Amino acid sequence: MKKLMISLALATLAAAALPASAETVVIVNKANPATRMFSEQAAQFFLGKSNMFTPVDQPESSPIRAEFYHKVADKDPAQVKAIWSKLVFTGKATPPKEFANSAEVKKAVAADPKAIGYIDKSAVDDTVKVILTLP
Amino acid sequence: MKKQLLVASFLAALAVQAQAGTLDDGNLSISGFGTLGIAKSDTDQAQFARYNQAEGVQDKARIGLDSNLGLQATYTFNDWLSATTQVLTRKNTSPSFTTDLTWAFVKAKINDETSVRVGRVLLPLFIISDYQNVGYANTMMRPPIEMYGQAPIENIDGADVNYQHSFGDFNFTTQAFVGVSRGKLFIPTAGGVVATYRAPAAGIAFTGEYGPFTMRLGHAQAKLESNDLGPLNQLTGTIRAAAPLFGPYAPQLNQLADDLGVNKGKKIGFTSVGLTMDWKNIVLQTEYAQRRAKDPVYIPDTNAWYTMAGYRIGKVLPYYAHADYKGTGSPSVNVPAALAGSPVLNATVKGLLVSGDQKSDLVGVRWDFAKSLALKVQVDRVKPGTKNGSLIFTPNTQLGNVTVVAAGLDFVF
Repeated sequence: MKKLMISLALATLAAAALPASAETVVIVNKANPATRMFSEQAAQFFLGKSNMFTPVDQPESSPIRAEFYHKVADKDPAQVKAIWSKLVFTGKATPPKEFANSAEVKKAVAADPKAIGYIDKSAVDDTVKVILTLP
Repeated sequence: MKKQLLVASFLAALAVQAQAGTLDDGNLSISGFGTLGIAKSDTDQAQFARYNQAEGVQDKARIGLDSNLGLQATYTFNDWLSATTQVLTRKNTSPSFTTDLTWAFVKAKINDETSVRVGRVLLPLFIISDYQNVGYANTMMRPPIEMYGQAPIENIDGADVNYQHSFGDFNFTTQAFVGVSRGKLFIPTAGGVVATYRAPAAGIAFTGEYGPFTMRLGHAQAKLESNDLGPLNQLTGTIRAAAPLFGPYAPQLNQLADDLGVNKGKKIGFTSVGLTMDWKNIVLQTEYAQRRAKDPVYIPDTNAWYTMAGYRIGKVLPYYAHADYKGTGSPSVNVPAALAGSPVLNATVKGLLVSGDQKSDLVGVRWDFAKSLALKVQVDRVKPGTKNGSLIFTPNTQLGNVTVVAAGLDFVF
């Protein structure tokens, strides 16, 4: 019984240390002069605080999206939605365009010199530039 | 009957929401927001209303206090030019639901930091002024009337310019606007009177954002003009008619009539400072504002403030707020001593110049129970002071505390 408890505890620890989901990376167009970025800076574009880059988003209910906003801004999807509601209904900004998956986000970022997106690390190739790896 | 209506509008809202996703094409985006709310108070002596509402709630449950529906369309012409319109249906200066055009502007992005909007824009007098009708974007059920009741002006036809600049992690925004506001004022005297007004207005607001903190400082001035404000016109008419009876003091009385009225346009200033914080699970929102007459006018000077604090537990956010407004006199109007010759007129004028005051404590909870949907329940404990505060259709006697219970479903699509 005690052994079972210990192995359960170890399994929980292991699960916490090695999350099942892969790493997420923030990508920009290859023409973008930026080489690295802090997560606070990335959050500014995705929360409508800066228009310097054009954010490109993952589907609204996707796990990678929830994880991204949690990691860069410590916000859950509902909080992000409320922030965008303010911006949208005051005519200040339009929310980021959504793309179906990491491959589509990558394609959109590769096509727009001002775009910024986030994708699964495994989807990265040389059409885009990684400027931030989220822990 | 009411229940059926409620269920029907709820279903309609869900249907709209389900369809909204298909309304997006490349350049046109349609979005919307709304609240389906129900509220009641514990008194039949007076009504609790939002500012400028012709009908509030008493001891019977009503959906008119908080329910609204906004629809917005934005057309993007290219990467620097877009056009936006928004219509809002709600109960405002009419006892039935009406639809107003709240936004209608063309926006030009000059560069990454500057944009100009021309057309009808909402007036950002206070921190949540321009999204006060979007329930989903707010923590509280409704903006505290103690604060937001200070200004009846909602939008202007004119232009505004937004400048946004980042200094490292510090984000700075300036918004300046100028234009003319036209609309209706509801005056809850004499059974309820609706007057039309015109008000050229201009102002500027500075917003600084640093991490979870947002601070805002704003100042605006509006020159309020109305010619059909019935009860006020009657009073100033009576003063003018009586003036000859006061012999040498007649000019003073005519001056008083000019001073009180808004027929010629009277300048009023609004200055506010606000702070919001959303840090870890703590949510704070606080604001202080002053309304000051810049020309002699019957509208008294007021100070107002509120503070809201909430703590987020997962998808549930309980909150508490205290709000307060009180008058700081009417120094702009000089009531001639000679008016004491007519005790009735004297008492009426002096009574008019006294500001109401009111305090409220409220507790509520917001629950983000599903995607794009939030459920709120809020209980307001209103303590009406002088002139029974912001309550409408009040008796001449001082009312005790009034409790208002409300529940609402906020949605965006």
